[in-house]
Amino acid sequence: MFKKTFTTVAMAAALGVSQVQAATMEDVERSFYPYKDGGPTFEGLAPGMTINSGNVAQFKEILDAAMFQKISDGWLEMTVGETTSFDLHPNYVQATRDNLGQVSLGNELGQINGFVAGRPFPEEPDENDPRAGEKLSWNYKYGYNWGDNAAIAPFYWKFRDMESGKIERTIKFNFHFLNFKHRVNQDPVPEFADNPSNLFRGIYVQVIEPFDVKNTQLLIHRSDDDLVRDNTWLYLGFQRRVRRLSSGQITDSFLGSDLMIEDFEGYNGRISDMNWTYKGTVNVMLPFYNHNALTLATDMVEKDGYQFVDFSGKGGCFPNITWQLRRAHILESDPTDDNHPISKRVHYIDAQTFTIPRTLIYDRKGDLWKSFIIGQAHPDHHLEKNKGTGVSIDDSFSQVDMQAGHCTTGQFKGQLDPAMNPPKLFTVQNMRAKGR
Amino acid sequence: MKNINKLMAALGGATLVTGLAIPAASAQEGEWDIAGFVENATYYRDGQDLSKVRNTGQFEFSKDFGKKFGLSNFRVSGTLRATYDAVYDINDDEWGDEAGGARNFENADSITAQAVFGGDGSSPWGGSLLSGGVPGPGFGFDLSRNPNEGLKVLGEDYASPRGGVTIGVPVRPCDEDSRGCGLDDYMDYDKNDLRFPEFNDELDFIRELYVEGAIPTGDTSELFLRIGKQQVVWGRTDLFRVLDIINPVDFSRHNIYDELEDIRIPQWIATAEYRWGATDWFEDLNVQLVWNFDEFRPNDLGQGGTPYSILDAGSFFRAMNNCWENGCTVSNFAPAAAANPVDPGFLAADFAPGVIGIRDVELPDGHDQGGIKMEGVFRSVGFSLNYYHFYQQLPVLRGGIPAQNPFTGEVGVWDRLIAFDIEFPEVDLFGGSLDFYIDPIKTVFRVEATYTTGEEFANTLEDKLYSDSDVFRWVLGIDRNTFIPFLNKNRAFLISGQIFGQHLLDHEKEQALLGEIGMPDWDDNYIATLLIKGWWKSDTISPQIITAWDYEAEAGTFAPSVDWLISDNWRLIFGANIKFGDGMQDQEFDDCRSCNPFPGFTGPPNQTQSLGLSGIQPLGRFRSGPLGSASQEDEIQITIRYRF
Repeated sequence: MFKKTFTTVAMAAALGVSQVQAATMEDVERSFYPYKDGGPTFEGLAPGMTINSGNVAQFKEILDAAMFQKISDGWLEMTVGETTSFDLHPNYVQATRDNLGQVSLGNELGQINGFVAGRPFPEEPDENDPRAGEKLSWNYKYGYNWGDNAAIAPFYWKFRDMESGKIERTIKFNFHFLNFKHRVNQDPVPEFADNPSNLFRGIYVQVIEPFDVKNTQLLIHRSDDDLVRDNTWLYLGFQRRVRRLSSGQITDSFLGSDLMIEDFEGYNGRISDMNWTYKGTVNVMLPFYNHNALTLATDMVEKDGYQFVDFSGKGGCFPNITWQLRRAHILESDPTDDNHPISKRVHYIDAQTFTIPRTLIYDRKGDLWKSFIIGQAHPDHHLEKNKGTGVSIDDSFSQVDMQAGHCTTGQFKGQLDPAMNPPKLFTVQNMRAKGR
Repeated sequence: MKNINKLMAALGGATLVTGLAIPAASAQEGEWDIAGFVENATYYRDGQDLSKVRNTGQFEFSKDFGKKFGLSNFRVSGTLRATYDAVYDINDDEWGDEAGGARNFENADSITAQAVFGGDGSSPWGGSLLSGGVPGPGFGFDLSRNPNEGLKVLGEDYASPRGGVTIGVPVRPCDEDSRGCGLDDYMDYDKNDLRFPEFNDELDFIRELYVEGAIPTGDTSELFLRIGKQQVVWGRTDLFRVLDIINPVDFSRHNIYDELEDIRIPQWIATAEYRWGATDWFEDLNVQLVWNFDEFRPNDLGQGGTPYSILDAGSFFRAMNNCWENGCTVSNFAPAAAANPVDPGFLAADFAPGVIGIRDVELPDGHDQGGIKMEGVFRSVGFSLNYYHFYQQLPVLRGGIPAQNPFTGEVGVWDRLIAFDIEFPEVDLFGGSLDFYIDPIKTVFRVEATYTTGEEFANTLEDKLYSDSDVFRWVLGIDRNTFIPFLNKNRAFLISGQIFGQHLLDHEKEQALLGEIGMPDWDDNYIATLLIKGWWKSDTISPQIITAWDYEAEAGTFAPSVDWLISDNWRLIFGANIKFGDGMQDQEFDDCRSCNPFPGFTGPPNQTQSLGLSGIQPLGRFRSGPLGSASQEDEIQITIRYRF
């Protein structure tokens, strides 16, 4: 073990990786609390105002290209909110401090050394660091995106025709996430004892409605070794059988939606499946908001009174949310597999939370194909059980197929509740038991 | 393959649907989760007009009660299903009260018969030249009790007799014509049983009704219990079953082509499953005990006169039961030289009751089928090891029952006489399965293998015309999702292929003077299936092609279909099922005309085995298999479903 680590570090040094300055406690503070002294500003931008086709030219600099075009074309209007701090859980921040300087990239894409928990690379990305993009991707992978575990229950996906606004299909899911390793908040910390395949994370999805896909279940086992391929299984209710999925299916349209499994959360795959390029840091409008302060949908109201984010705009494809001017790292990922159906993704990674609220996806020809929004809700303005959890909650999404004039929207009820995500939920056998 | 053939829909269902529409239920925790559908499936068969006008209503419900009775997540679940197949009313001259008619029976190449009967020389039911006590008391039967009406000639929908044996098959529902319906609780459906198949003594309208819950034994481990009427699914294959043998299957619904989900016959079963979850060695590990405490039920093979009678076995059995109970005419049974020494042909024979046929069915009590499965994931390879003790779900005909010597009237047990009881022997199955993924070729592999002891097969080498054989079955399946950009750049096509193999370890077959004798089943056989499925328009339009090919039978099927999800509620499937290759008419085997059960009368006194005189009936069906024996069942199929 020592020998391997030593060799890797030595080779990394030879490649110049170690020339990048080591992270400091100041870097940690800057990384987690960038708005301690106030948020960024832009001339003419003020909370409460609306950016629309009439004034969008003024704000082109703080909008990504696709969003600028959509607003220009009148597809949506953007309500501006105050930039607020989304503080992640103190244990995650402390874990970052505790492990500061102990993490390094391995020799190969997808290798990391010395990581225990927290944010692996809290330092500011350096444009001169050829592996800066890779480090950002690790920060995302080991981010506190859903905490140690979470459930989205229920989770409504609507397939919409952008031209007619017709909702073609509504699928009701439950999603569950569980980190088996690098846990910081809930027992067992930092990992589960029985983990023979060295899993980092499990994702379990169950379809509740409609009837034709009811009881369809998806299980993803992601190894902590990024070079190991995910294991993915699908349970088909009409067959009552668990089928293993090939990796090809994670880049396929998921149940006919505009998302592939690999799109979940912005990127749901291995670091080693992509080449990562850091493209700079910008102040840009991102979908961060307080859920309870929004004008919410009045249909699908839950028994506990929870209301989902509503949608409007062209084809009903855009969430009725507020947007904040925030610092974001632009990260480009292009697939290592030449047969991948996309040529690249351009992610706008929120510099504070390392969530991916905006992604632009380009087809194999290099044309813009899809535009992905994941609305981030502050946990303290959400369900009571979510308050104080320090998780930036994925709360709404819009994936627009720019070429097909079609979109899929998502309405979340994110719940940070360990009781909803026991380890036994993330087993193949559970899929058979949950099925009929 | 099955998916394909859930086809079709008849338009009349719309009004029914409208009347039954129920607001969609959106269950939240602690609420009843309800769902269901109404469906019309209308199939049109080349040459027979409508073969199915099935109207189905299904209602599913479940509720999680939380902690109850010491169990966590105590849940009650059920599925109710009611079906009315109007084909027995609408196309009653093919499948209902008016089906069949008077039939003649071949006297192949007989100059004597041609002189007597004229035309092609065939003789009417009960009117053969070997009848009325000629040449013995066991020939001839009472036509007033067993008239020449409501009959078909066995296999007439598939082939002409071509010099082989055939029998008359009563084809009307058993309340209209009780002939051949004398097997107690087996293939004795009356019209209402056929029209409303779920409303029977076994209460099959309760498709499923079970309770379940878990006893936590650790952070990741638990004992999971489920008891009630249910389906227990083992295995990893589609279309054909290798490990998935716990529930019998209703082939009468739509042969092999419906989803197994819809045609498994639920049984009252208790399962106990200990789930370790992840352990030191395994990513997932569990052991399941299964006890089927229900009465034994065999596979439903349909019956004579119904549109889906797999291997046409139901027709054969009904014909043979009628032979036993009422007598029957068998074409081309005896050399015509017996009546006219210069006649080179064959004559039909009219047998009296109690001479040949199927006398009875011995259905095991059941209550004692069960097994164990260990299943898990090891180094990313899914695996299972299985053992199951059960009764063979396909019937076997055991000879050696007391019957009348038609030449003397003596009752005794005669070697190689085609007089049978139906039995379902006990079988032990040992098996296992694997699935794994090979990334460089982006392909998932599925493997199943079983070894069974105790299965029985027809065997004309044996005095009782059957013997047992150990059987090795296996399947290799591959699944690959493949983008074909010029057809669809957004969505990959599913390409799924399977090869099934079966080897009878105790297979017996010999070459006799006139043909092969022994086991008609193939020593080794292979069936390949291929599915290519695509999706467009947010998965709302999904065309697919399914093909299957039986290597030894040289028979195949081609089943294209398009599944259109019109909305979250409405679904339309349009498809076809076209057979190609050889049919049953291309398979012949020893039909036991030359078995010499009555030495001195039916052959030389010292002849102790069949000479191998062969015909299509009755054993060609075993060589033709489910694909070849349905060679004349080309169909266009429409299904429309409304879900709520």
